[in-house]
This record gives sequence, structure tokens and C-alpha cells, in this order.
Amino acid sequence: MNIFLYLDENTLIHRLDPRTKLVSAVILFGICLCFNHPLYLAFISGGVVLTALWARALPNFWRLRYILLLLILFSFVLWPFFVPGPTRWWAWGPFQVSRESVLYGLAMGLRLATFVGIGLIFLSTTRNEELTNGLIRMGVPYPLAFALSTALRLVPTFAGAGATIIQAQVSRGLDLESGSIFKRMGKFIPQAVPLFIYAIHHTNTLAMALESKGFDPQAKRTFYYEPRMQRVDYWVIGFFILLLTALLYLRLGMGLGVVIRGRL
Amino acid sequence: MKGIFTMWKNTRMIILTAVCAAIYSAALLAFKTAIPLIPGITEVRVGNIFPMPFGLMFGPAGAWGSAIGNLIGDIFGGTLTPSSLAGFVGNFLLGYLPYTLWTNLVPFHHKTFRWEAGAWLNWVAYFIIAFISSTACAVVISIFVDFMGVVPYKVLVKIITLNNTLGSFIGVILLTSVFKLVKDHLQLYWGDVMEEADQGKPIAGPLGAWLVTIASLFGLFGGLLADFQVGILGWISTAAILIGSFLL
Repeated sequence: MNIFLYLDENTLIHRLDPRTKLVSAVILFGICLCFNHPLYLAFISGGVVLTALWARALPNFWRLRYILLLLILFSFVLWPFFVPGPTRWWAWGPFQVSRESVLYGLAMGLRLATFVGIGLIFLSTTRNEELTNGLIRMGVPYPLAFALSTALRLVPTFAGAGATIIQAQVSRGLDLESGSIFKRMGKFIPQAVPLFIYAIHHTNTLAMALESKGFDPQAKRTFYYEPRMQRVDYWVIGFFILLLTALLYLRLGMGLGVVIRGRL
Repeated sequence: MKGIFTMWKNTRMIILTAVCAAIYSAALLAFKTAIPLIPGITEVRVGNIFPMPFGLMFGPAGAWGSAIGNLIGDIFGGTLTPSSLAGFVGNFLLGYLPYTLWTNLVPFHHKTFRWEAGAWLNWVAYFIIAFISSTACAVVISIFVDFMGVVPYKVLVKIITLNNTLGSFIGVILLTSVFKLVKDHLQLYWGDVMEEADQGKPIAGPLGAWLVTIASLFGLFGGLLADFQVGILGWISTAAILIGSFLL
């Protein structure tokens, strides 16, 4: 089963240093938090979609289209009941819906979908090895990054084993579709135990293999993959910092892009 | 607390962390959408049966493994957002609190962890700790997610608590099935893998345990007792849970 989101393309975004993509994604997350007015967030969402188009990441957006739409719908329906606003439209007992709360719900739906969109662009343009290498170069301790990269490498194997175990049990007549939540969840135990035992047997073998090769978690290391920050990387980071500063000024200095005060 | 830092010196603990993370995220992926609660938004996370047994058997490796596993679940699921950071901390607690509360939550505490299915006190402690660690995880994630405007705290804290508690309760079957294999056959119980000096001792164990317990319950039920503002309720509880965890 293919569970990777990386799309092998040759775009400028693919070629950026992983640190640039990590920092840019964090700044873009910050940009999404600048406003809670749907119109302003729609512009940001539009920008993210254009970036996805540029990065040729739209196949992954299509793959997750239902989740993205449901996220917008879920926030739009839920938030109006939890954030009071001055222009009341409807009230019933403790529940009330106002013009501002509806706009806020729409904005939060857009924000949530944009968050997912930014993450998708990052994952569509960055290999797992680049991600862990970027984290190490940004100061994440090597043993932690090593655990992350080892886990990333093991997941497809274990997920495939999990899927095979489920299919094998279902073909023998196990019914996972009926019963209460408790019963249905309990039915997954016969799948979980063999998956766990299959996986945990790797531990001692892997540890021995590493120790026999002289693995020392504390040792200083060198890497085959040595990305270098290019001029374009600094330009991209500089652009996003400037954009964030300008948008913060719009929100904090001019009070624009706000429907509910006191909330991000 | 010391053990969660010193474990990174130990190759076996590092591999255990990676394997725990891979099992957890593989289960999150393989069993995703098996039992949807709100289609596309949240489902009964069958993978949640793992963090509590991981924490009890593998200690710090189980805690880090749960945190990294949840992050990888977000990476492969395409939902890598700022909420993933909260998910990392919350799932860390879901694996960290079980083994620390097991020896510190007076009067339900035990001297060491050894799962005996025949001892009813083990079951009592297991279910109490499962509920507390599930709630602590839910409070920490929900307040951060609410702060960013993703999902309201009052809704999410209940969904996550239910999900985690349900998963942890069912996880006892997994623990019962594999504990002897892990401890006696594979010799991967964390207390046997790590040097005693590296395991560390709690700063103020029972105080930390009860601080986490009270803060978790306050975060979940505080809104029912008095008209607390969500922000105050969630942030105070989160701060107390983190301080309590530090003391453990």
C-alpha cells in the first residue's frame, strides 16, 4: 500500500532546502492566525492553493478533498454556537447564533483547511529523509531524529502487515462492521496482538544490528545528504517574514480582519 | 522525569521508541475510518489501545513512541498542522503518565509495575490511571486547538477523553496478552533495559500525581461545576498537568 504523500516533481519548491520549507510552513501557519475574518482568510487560502498549483501538489489536495470540505463544514456549523457576537440572529436557551459568530465559523473552517493545505504542500514536496535531516540541522537531537526516521521507514511495513492481518481475519468470517462501539473496538484486539508481536520482534534484531556496527547515539556524525542553503532559500524566508510582519501590522496596528475581538 | 532524557543514551530504548511510534502510527493508518464518529473529522481511534500498554511496558520509550507515532500519523494522514504540536505533547502524556502514576498515585500505587491479571488491585489502578491519563491528554490538546480556532474546547475535550479512555480500557487485553512475552521472553521491560541510575526518581511523586489527577478532572468537569471561562479552565488545568508531570 502506498501511504506516502511525496510527489516526485522538479519545481522550485521541491528544490528548496528542507529548513526553508519547515520555517516557511511555520510562518505560514502564523499568517493563518493573523485574522479571523473570512474574507481575509479566503485571500490567504487562495494564496496557498496557488502555491499548491505551483508545487504540483494538487493531486494530494484531490486525494483529501472530502476531508478538506468536511473540515470547513464542521467548523462552520459548530463554532457559531460557542462564540457569542453582538448582532444576534437566533437564540434558544443557552444557545445563540449571531452574524459575527457565523462569519467566525466560516473563517475558522477556512483556517483549518488552509492549515491542512500548508501541511500538504510541505509533505508533497519534502522527502522523509529531507524532513529528518532538516530537523537535525535545526537543532533536534540526533537520537530523537533517528527514532523518527526509523519509525517513518517502519510504518509502511507495519501498516501493510496490519492491513494483511485484517484481511485475513475478515476472510475467515470476522465481522468488523456490526455491534456497539465497545464491541467493534474489542474486535480489533485479535488484529492488534499479532501486529504488536510481529513488530516488537524487530526491536532486539535492530538493536543488535546497530550495536554491531558501532552505533553510538551520543557520537558526532557526518551525513551523505548535506543540503546547503542557497540564495533563493534566504529570499523565500525573507519574503515570508516580511509578509507576516505586514499582516501583523494590519491586524494589530490597524485592527483589520477581525470579526470577534479577543480571539485569534 | 529524568528517565525521559537519559533514555536517549540507550540504543535499545531508542529502537523501542521507533518501533512503538511505527506500531502506533501504522495502527492509526490501518484502522483509520474503521468506526467514524463524525465522518472525516474524528473517528474512534482504534490505535489508541496502544499508548497505555506502551507506557506501562516500555516507560519513557512508550511515551516518546506515542508522541512520535501520533506525529507520523499526521504526516501520513496529510493533517500536519499546528495542532500536531499539541498532539505530540498530549500523546506524550498518554504514554508518560501511566507508568509514572502507577508508582506514585497514592493509594492506588504499586512499588513496581508487574502486570498480574489475577490481582484485582492491578485492574482498579489500571482503569483509574487510564481515565486520568486520557483526560490529561485531552485537556492539553483541546485548549491548544481551541486557542487556534480549530475546534471548540468543550466539544473536543469530551471526544478525545472518550476516545482515549475507550482505547486504553481495551488496551488492557493487549497488555494481558503480551506482558509476559515482553518482560520474560524478549526482556524488553523498560526497568530491565535501562540502568537503575538512569531511571531517576520523582521529585515529588504523590504530589505530582494528585496535581495531574485534580487538574485533569477540573479541565473535563470544571465547566459543569461553575461558569468558568473556557480559556481560564483549560489553561489553568494544562499548566497544572504539566507541572504535575514534571514532579513525577
